[in-house]
Amino acid sequence: MPGYKSNDRIQTVTASTFDRLVLKGEGPIAVEFMSYGCAHCRVIEPVLQQVAEMVESTEKIFRVNIGVERELADLYQIQGTPTLIMFLDGAEVGRDEGPSPIESNILNLVSQPYMS
Amino acid sequence: MQIKKQTVPVLLFNDECGVCRSIAHWVQKSAQVKTGETRMIVRPIGEDPEELQSLHPGLDIWDAYATIHLLMPDGSMRLGGEAVAAVLRNLPSTRWFTWMFAIDVFGFRPFQAILNLAYAILAEVRPIFGCESCGTPGPWVRPIRWVVKSVASIFGESHQPVPSPHFTALPAKGRSPQTHPI
Repeated sequence: MPGYKSNDRIQTVTASTFDRLVLKGEGPIAVEFMSYGCAHCRVIEPVLQQVAEMVESTEKIFRVNIGVERELADLYQIQGTPTLIMFLDGAEVGRDEGPSPIESNILNLVSQPYMS
Repeated sequence: MQIKKQTVPVLLFNDECGVCRSIAHWVQKSAQVKTGETRMIVRPIGEDPEELQSLHPGLDIWDAYATIHLLMPDGSMRLGGEAVAAVLRNLPSTRWFTWMFAIDVFGFRPFQAILNLAYAILAEVRPIFGCESCGTPGPWVRPIRWVVKSVASIFGESHQPVPSPHFTALPAKGRSPQTHPI
């Protein structure tokens, strides 16, 4: 499904593409579990877009719409939105529920798990 | 993408908000005319941005959740207080007084301005009524919401603590967001 805007930097993944794009994807991958009806997701969206632009050379950011992808939400035990999960080589390496919508915080969240 | 043409206005509403759902239900009932036809289509915003854009190419799902949208048959889109005025204008039971919204005094429409203000206030206070999807409450709404939640908890309505103020917890039963028929 294409993004809601032409300049959307965050690709939406579905149950059918999750395995290929996230679990078998190369390099660091952050996935935002969100819902369009979630006010906090609305607040974080522009910040996440900015961060996606900043890290696009090193990292991918995807979104999962849990209003549609309920099985994925259950599989990853999503308790609410937005929830950010960071993956590396198919394994979850970090998670944050309700991140503060500040650019430096989001940037830190999506890059911290990969710093060693 | 094929754009769906409508012959009557389409009112989009937030299905996850009790206040919005009640208003939408009232609009839907009021829009029925004796012949069985309807003066307006009332539909939930839903979760599919592409489907929404098939109604109007300029329609953004995030914006749709943030403010009321009315899609007119001529292809235009009315938002906020202007949308409310257009809804009232299309309902048989309310159109008799909607002439006042068009009153123009040197470029200023006083009654429309009052309606815009009323809508803005309603949009601000919706979180008080438990709508988690209507927006993050403004500073003046937060204490009132806290009082409402505290009173509700006295009467047995439990609120789960959330890990962050920027987090919308899903209902305990069935984690996925619920959709409600109107």
